[in-house]
Order: sequence, then structure tokens, then C-alpha cells
Amino acid sequence: MSTQTPVSTTTRSAAPDRFVKSGSTGLGKQIFNVLTTTDHKMIGILYMSLAFAFFAFGGLLALGIRAELWEPGLQVVVSKDQYNQLFTMHGTIMLLMFGTPLFNGFANFLVPLQIGAVDMAFPRLNMFALWLTGFGSVIAVSGFLTPQGAASFGWTAYAPLSDTTFTPGLGGDLWVFGLALQGFGTILGSVNIITTIITMRMPGMTMFRMPIFTWNALITGVLVLMAFPPLASALLALGADRRFEANIFNPENGGPILWQHLFWFFGHPEVYVLALPFFGIVTEIIPAFSRKPIFGYKTLVGATIAIAALSVTVWAHHMYTLGTVMLEFFAFMTMLIAVPTGVKFFNWIGTMWRGSITFETPMLFTLGFLTTFIFGGLTGVILSTPVLDFHIQDTYFVVAHFHYVMAGTVVFGMFAGFYFWWPKMFGHKLSESIGKVHFWLLTIGFHMTFLIQHWLGVIGAPRRYVNYLAEDNFDWLNQVSTVGAFIMGASTLPFLLNVVLTHIRTEKIEVDDPWGFGASLEWATSCPPPRHNFHSLPRIRSERPAFDLHHPEVAAQDHMLEQEPAVNVRTN
Amino acid sequence: MIPQAPQRSRRNSRMAAGLALAVLFLAGCTAEQQRGFMPGHDAGQVTNQTERITNFWVGSWSVLVLVGLMIWGLTIWCAIAYRRRKTDTGFPIQLRYHVPLELMFTLLPVVMVLTLFYFTQRDVGEIERHANEPDMVVEVVGKQWSWDFNYVSEDVHEPAGVQSFATGEEGAEESLPVLYLPVDQNVEIRLESRDVVHSFWVVDFLYKKDMVPGFTNSFQVTPTLEGTYSGKCAELCGEFHSDMLFNLEVVSQEEFDAHMQQLEDDGYTGQLGVDLNRNQEEWSMREAHEEAGPRVREEADQ
Repeated sequence: MSTQTPVSTTTRSAAPDRFVKSGSTGLGKQIFNVLTTTDHKMIGILYMSLAFAFFAFGGLLALGIRAELWEPGLQVVVSKDQYNQLFTMHGTIMLLMFGTPLFNGFANFLVPLQIGAVDMAFPRLNMFALWLTGFGSVIAVSGFLTPQGAASFGWTAYAPLSDTTFTPGLGGDLWVFGLALQGFGTILGSVNIITTIITMRMPGMTMFRMPIFTWNALITGVLVLMAFPPLASALLALGADRRFEANIFNPENGGPILWQHLFWFFGHPEVYVLALPFFGIVTEIIPAFSRKPIFGYKTLVGATIAIAALSVTVWAHHMYTLGTVMLEFFAFMTMLIAVPTGVKFFNWIGTMWRGSITFETPMLFTLGFLTTFIFGGLTGVILSTPVLDFHIQDTYFVVAHFHYVMAGTVVFGMFAGFYFWWPKMFGHKLSESIGKVHFWLLTIGFHMTFLIQHWLGVIGAPRRYVNYLAEDNFDWLNQVSTVGAFIMGASTLPFLLNVVLTHIRTEKIEVDDPWGFGASLEWATSCPPPRHNFHSLPRIRSERPAFDLHHPEVAAQDHMLEQEPAVNVRTN
Repeated sequence: MIPQAPQRSRRNSRMAAGLALAVLFLAGCTAEQQRGFMPGHDAGQVTNQTERITNFWVGSWSVLVLVGLMIWGLTIWCAIAYRRRKTDTGFPIQLRYHVPLELMFTLLPVVMVLTLFYFTQRDVGEIERHANEPDMVVEVVGKQWSWDFNYVSEDVHEPAGVQSFATGEEGAEESLPVLYLPVDQNVEIRLESRDVVHSFWVVDFLYKKDMVPGFTNSFQVTPTLEGTYSGKCAELCGEFHSDMLFNLEVVSQEEFDAHMQQLEDDGYTGQLGVDLNRNQEEWSMREAHEEAGPRVREEADQ
């Protein structure tokens, strides 16, 4: 694909990369190099590996939950508290040890490449943040190894249930302090991402020429700085309550209500911390496989900023039933989020409109993301109005809703991103045919698991119930959901198989852009990129420099005839 | 404009046909489907609020399903109509902006949001309305993992609630604590908690409210249909959260009065207040049977 080279390019060096591989022959040396790396690409891959390991673990916990709900009575867990541990750690892991580090992983790998930088602004801080996240996560999960088990008060840790009076045991302490530690990792990672984007863009890379993923990483970083410090302080206060009897969340001074405000002031922006980067990923993928530029680039940036701004004003919509929040304000702000989200949808559709679409695996997962996420958005509108929320709050309807929005964005977005950037990360392209099996298994399993949970919630199944009455007649609904969950779990196997087979069988990719229509700068360097990312950089003349470089005839048309049709449109 | 007239009438007749189809479709639905699978009873509305909530539910979903179908339709249309065929070469039009279109799809959602907010405001006001003089007051105290029901106006209480030990087995439902309410009376339900946060949810009331320690919550409701309804704790409250269940009996005023008299005759007078600790059931048993000994541990427990 990259037969066209810009004027400024010197001859590309074919020599092996001396920064990574020099002298690192022994296995011990290689492990040492990985553990001490400050290379943003390797750190990004480490973040993603960490996140994926926790994704697998959290998924196994979820299978335990689903198996337990197969029929009334206890089947899988030996005590009800053990079930509470399962869903507490499932939620904690998926949000804070899978979703959030995954954002850091993609942002670490992609942001410097997309803005033409050699590395992150603070490489050693980057490494420090990674290890804080890793060790913090392990500490929080290690509660499973203690005699009383892991934390069991829900990932929301509502006071006073999370106090030692009601949840004694080391698991709760490990949860509190482990999360505080890994929260600092997330904060430091975001500081790094913001600084990198603000200060290290190459000449010509203006803010409004940045790829949408980089824009979303910037805005996500800002959201992290808004959301995680309140979480860290709330966690440390809870830790002080648990270990030093600080009485900060004592009911006699309104502690339970204070905790809910602090927690959701973190908790709601957190869902956008998880969503925005993956919005960015699909926004990179849709144009590449539609062979068109993004439709409404600036509108999309504006919509992302609007979503981020609104997301810090809606936290109390998790607390409508609490009886102490101003329903009007939070309902209105929550409903308003539908507007920029709708704008995003129309921009994605506008990008595909009259395009020339092919369905490689990344595009399939992106379409899976679109069809899944829209349904989560619709149920979000339902939940935004207190009239209906009073009934379905804390039921399986809410569980279904947030799995549609969270798993819909993070899981489908993650796999879309993996398949799309795998060649860039490892120099090999994942198998398309196995990828398609993976996609369909995941899609069928996902919808089978969660669609039916909406009905469960509406007819009266509360969330976090280990058991239900024989008279409730929830059996068959739960059984459909459980079968779906195991299909979804099984869908990970083709992916793992794909990874192994790809690295055994396929040839190394020699071109810069194996997809042929990539827009941003990472497609203007080799797969994988050299230690400092670029041997030469093209000029930046639009928001898709790599596309301009590889398809100069289209770029030329763009500049000469602003509104006229570009080149030969769909000949014969 | 003359040529448009027949078109318009054709459109009108199409709309009429569509409407007729929709009516036929809805007429073919069961009552449950017409409620959008919301809990309800064919015999009538369960409370003075359920009709409002069900209508809101059905109305919101009707609009949202249309929005969803439109977006799914557009996405699938793109995937089918604009797929790259084998004979295709070159590039499509590299369109970047279309300001009127973008304005349209920003403003249209704003209008829909304002509409939704208007109806929300109207109905939340009704649901959360507090009459100054409710017909009767009931105090519900949540505790790990059951309920104490106090009839404040009558100054009696139900026997202290005990969690279900048989959840998941046949017949467990009948063993649950019961709250009695008279039909067609506006009742204020005050919610308290002795330990952690619970949530008082009568499924068929389509309404729940949290029970927060250190804070008294309340709502008012008028049950309008006699029957037995299941109640559940909806906020995670610890190990036996799923066993924190109760039944609500909505009965006629005569039956309710008889039940109050029965409670008084059985000695369940006074209130099981929020200040009692979780051993109070054991204490009241000891009080009733003095041979069980004095409450020697009372001071230690406090």
C-alpha cells in the first residue's frame, strides 16, 4: 500500500531495531526488559494484557453467578456471602481492573503514534502508573485468599454495610486499599496522557487535526482527573472508618448519604471513562472500512466534550429512590445526555452513508457495538425518568441496561480495536475467518444473556439476589440467560486460538497500513513501529495524514475542489 | 401545489391504514403485552399510581422503539446498500460536513427530551405528592434481614419479622412476614432502618423507596385492589439480602379493623421502634415468659 512516499522521507532503514533487541537474547534478559520497560508501546501492551487477564477472571466469576441462578436454591456457592463476593468482585474487576486499564492500554499504545510523538511525556511515571494499577488490582482481588473471602458489599460499597460492623474481614480492607492504590495509577496515567497530547504533538498536528481516538483519550483523561480523586478520598475515608474507627460514614452524621454522593460522583463519570475511549476506537474503524472521512468531525468532538461535561452533573440519577435528591435537575441533565449521544450515532451512520463498506472483523465488531449500544441507550432514556426508575431501580432491568452500555462499548470496542491494531502491535494480522466465528458467538451469547434480563427486572427480580422464590417463576428466564452467558464465555476460546495460530502461521506484515485506508499517523510507520515510532513523518495537511500519504490523488481532490465530488465514484 | 392534493389524501389513507393495523395489532395482544409486561392485574389498578406509571412506560417505549428501529434500520441499510461490490473501484464522495442535517439531528432529540421531561415533571409530582392528612400511617423498619411493621395510627405492630429460611423451596412465600393495608385508604408509609440501607419495594405498586439509617423516608399511596402482593428488599443489605421478603395483604376496611383488634388482643401493642437493637425479639419473648430470666445482657448490648 505504501508505495507513495512524501518528499521529506529519507530512505527507510531496514536494520533491526537496536533499541529493543540489542543483546536481549536470553529469556531472563527479555523478561527483565519487559518488566523495566518505559516504552509506551510495550507499556500499552502490558496494560492490555493485564486488563485481558482480569477480563477472563471477572468473566469466570460471572459464569459462577449465572450458574447459581439456574434454579431456586443454592447450587454453586456454599454460602450466600460467597455469592455476594462473586458479584462484588465481578463488578469491581470489570470496571476498575479491566475497563479502566484497557483505556490506559489503548491510549498508551496509540496516542504517541497518532500525534507523531516519540513516547509519552513522562515515560517513567508511565511505568510507575502501570505497576500501581497492577499491584493495586492484585491486592484488591487477593481477598479471595483470606479466610473470610473477598469483599462482599457490592462494588458500590454502600455505607454502613461496608463498615466492619456489618462486613468484617480482611477482604474488605484489601478491597478498599487496593482500589485506592490502583486509582492513583489511573490518575497518574491520565496526567501523562493529557500532558502528552497537549505538549507533544508534531508540527502541523493542530488540535482539530487530531484523530478522534486521541481527542477521546484527552477528554477521558480530564474525566479521570475529575472522578478518581473523589473516589480515592472516599476510599481512604472508608479505610479509616474500617481500620481506625474514624466514623466518617457513621449514620448518625448522614454517612450513608454522603458515601452515595461521593461514590456516584466518581461512579457516573467512570462509565464515560469506560465508554469514551471505545467510542474513539469505533470512530477510527468506521471511516477506514467505509473509505470515507469521518462525517462531522468537529461535531463529534463537540458531542464528546458535551457528554463529558454532562456526565459530571448526573451522578444522583443512581439515587432517585433515596428520597433526598433533586429529581428534576438530575432527570433533566440525564435526559440531555441523549442529545450528544444521538449526534454521535448520526455521525457514525453519516460516515457509513454512501460509503464503500467492507466487513473485515474490526468493522463487524464495530457494527456489533453500534447495534448493542443503541439498545442500552434507549433503556438509559427509560431509566432517566424517575417515574419509571422507581420501579426498575436495582432490578435486573438495570443490570441488563448497564451490560448493554458497558459490555456493549468495552467488549465489542476492545475486540474491534484488537483486530484493527493487532498488525500494528505485533506485525501479524489475526485470522479473519476465526474472527468471524468469534464475533458471531459473542453477539449471540451476549444478546441471549442480557436481552431477557430486561423482562426479569420488570416483572420483579431484584439484582444481587442469590436466590428467588419458587413462586416467582423466574426459572426459564434465568436459564436462557445462563445458557447465553456460557456461549459468551466460550466465544473467548476462538479469540485465544486465533492469537496462537496467528503467531505460529502467518507471515510478518511488511506494509505500513495492512487495511489500506487507515487515516491517522500510526498507519504511516512500520508494523510494529520502531522504538521511537517513526523513521520519517509525513506532512500533516488534514485530520487523516496517513490516508493523504497513501492516497494522494484523493487528498489532492480534497484541496482543489472543496465541495465537488472527489475521484471516480463507483465506476461501473 | 394542486398536484400534491391527491398525494396528500393517499398519505392520509395510508396513515389511516397504518393506524388501523396498529389498533388490530394491539387488540390482538394480551393485557400483559398491552402493559408492556409491567406487573398488573386484569381485575383493576393496584394503586392510585399504577395506571399513570404503566401509561408512561408504554408511551415512552412506543417512541423509543421507533427511534431504535430507525437507527437499527439506518445502520443495516448502510451495511447492505453501501457494501463494496466486487466491481467497485475508487472512492465514494468524501463528504465531511452537512450542517443543516447535523442541526436537524441535534435539535430533534432536544425536542424529544423536552417532551419527556415535561411528562416526567407532571407525573413525578403526582407520585411524590404528600397529603397533609393521610388516612393512616404505617411505619416500616428495615433490619438485617427482615421487616418490622408498626401501625402508628392504631398503636399496634405485627410480630417482629424474621427472614425467610426457605427461599427457593415450595411454600416459602406463605411463611413470610405480612403487612396489612385497608383498600382505598390513603396511607403514609414511613421508612426507617436499624442497621444498613434497605429498600422497600412492593413489586405490583411499581414503586420503591430506600430505607436509610439515621433518616426517615416516606411516601403516600392508596391501594385500590384487594389481594396479596409480594414485597422485596431492593438494596443490597448483606448475606441474606435475598431472604428479606414480605407479603402485603390489601384487605377491606372491616378485615383490617378485625386484624388490628386481633393484634391488640394478642398483646402486640405499642411500636417496634427504630431504636430497638436486633435482639429485641428475644427480649420480648423473655418478657412474655418471665421464667426465661431477667434481661441481664441488656446493658452490655447497648
